[in-house]
Amino acid sequence: MILKKLKPITALLLVLLSMMGGLAHAEAALSAREVVDKFQGQLLAVMKSGKQLGFAGRYDKLYDAVATSHDLTKIARIVIGKEWEKLTEAQQKNLTDVFSKLSVASYAHNFKDYSGEAFTIDSEDNTTRGGVIVHAHLSIPGDKDVKFDYMLKDNGDSWRIINIIADGVSDLALKRSDYTAVLQNEGFDALMAKINDKISNYSKQE
Amino acid sequence: MNKPRNSHGLWNSGLLPCIALSLFLVSGCATSEPARQARPFNKIDPYENVNREIYKFNDMVDDYIAGPISDAYRYITPKFVQTGVANAFANIKNINVVFNDLLQAKFVQGAEDTGRFAINSTVGLAGLFDVAKSMSLEQHQEDFDQTLAVWGVAKGPYLVVPFLGPSTVRGIPGAAFDTAVNPTSYVATPFQALSMLNARANAEGALRFIDEAALDPYVFTRESFLQWRDNLATDGKSNANTALDEEGLDADLADATSGAATAKGGFLTMDKFGFGKVSNTFVLVKDSFDQTTLAFEQANSKLDRLKFDHSKLLMLPTHYKVH
Repeated sequence: MILKKLKPITALLLVLLSMMGGLAHAEAALSAREVVDKFQGQLLAVMKSGKQLGFAGRYDKLYDAVATSHDLTKIARIVIGKEWEKLTEAQQKNLTDVFSKLSVASYAHNFKDYSGEAFTIDSEDNTTRGGVIVHAHLSIPGDKDVKFDYMLKDNGDSWRIINIIADGVSDLALKRSDYTAVLQNEGFDALMAKINDKISNYSKQE
Repeated sequence: MNKPRNSHGLWNSGLLPCIALSLFLVSGCATSEPARQARPFNKIDPYENVNREIYKFNDMVDDYIAGPISDAYRYITPKFVQTGVANAFANIKNINVVFNDLLQAKFVQGAEDTGRFAINSTVGLAGLFDVAKSMSLEQHQEDFDQTLAVWGVAKGPYLVVPFLGPSTVRGIPGAAFDTAVNPTSYVATPFQALSMLNARANAEGALRFIDEAALDPYVFTRESFLQWRDNLATDGKSNANTALDEEGLDADLADATSGAATAKGGFLTMDKFGFGKVSNTFVLVKDSFDQTTLAFEQANSKLDRLKFDHSKLLMLPTHYKVH
């Protein structure tokens, strides 16, 4: 009897589960262009209420937006380059954590208010190594457009941003030179201290 | 009785450059940097130790002299005056832009930039107002360093020039040519000072960004400068940066490491203050001037060939011209 009563509930659960699976699948099926479009939308929304949110509010709202659209672990690994292999597992984890925090803090600091800016996606290209580059630009009223090229890779579940090239300057290449210089010249602890200083400086500003 | 010399005389006598040089050397000596010896060789920046000292010196000059003057200028001058000054100097620079457009055979862009200069110099009241922008005439950025890049002159190693900042070996003849072509170089000293002040005030945002974002400001400045210049020289068509992904970066790294082995062989022995490297830099700058002269000659012969081909074309039957 009990089993009979459970059957409809189990069936309902199964249906719900499959729907959730379907939703997860729909999320995974976002194209590279859609990932960029969604992220830019989230960034603009935070900019529009940037002043009311303050740094902490912008940081909280952007954390998920950045973590689900960027492959932060992969970015951290590329930024550290060959030095990555020399780090212990604990150091790698610490570095990825503070790197993720710094990335979000940097977004929260640099996109703090709104004065009519708009993102437009222009085109997309496939790279020879199976990636996609989404070409976009940011229009700023009364100023020159800023060209943004997003490089994305499929991490198995979804397309994730691994590099942003702003007006020809690659964020990944810039960070790799900067981080490896500190790591080679001053060591891991100095690198961690400097990253934490940057996060702290960003958070002190409005 | 000896009369006190003016600063121009001091500079000509070579005393001021000596003071400046000794200042940055002293600042370099006073700084303890334990990791200096361990710094790996960098193909694009073989003079990193000397460059870092000049960077520190420039930073000091900016902190104590240029920065405060620029802050005062931005504080006391109304925004519309600052914009007017920036527009006027940008407009004068367009003469240089048009010149380089033509040297790079960008004739359509050259015509647009000539129009831009004409409109802003007249309707825009001697360039104080950027009227051309509202007519969709975009401000292009061309200089002689980019022209040399188009002509195939390699950029050479990265250099930090005292008082002036980041450059490359190719940038030295580039800057010399641009200075010679820019009318601002021939006007009264107060205008030149205003031009420098305007340049520093306009760089405020970029300098603040470096302060906020860079872990090692020297490396951050070097990398962003080199990438920015490459992007300008190729008019944004360079795919060097867009091609960077995980494998690409690793390949770059391997390439840089393998290149270092051969470069080290012919490298000058480093003395304490890097004088050897400095003198080597001057040799490289001279080489770059030589390459520039060669590039001029090649461009000239290309133009001659163009004229020749054109005359041949005129002699061809009409049906050939269609193709």
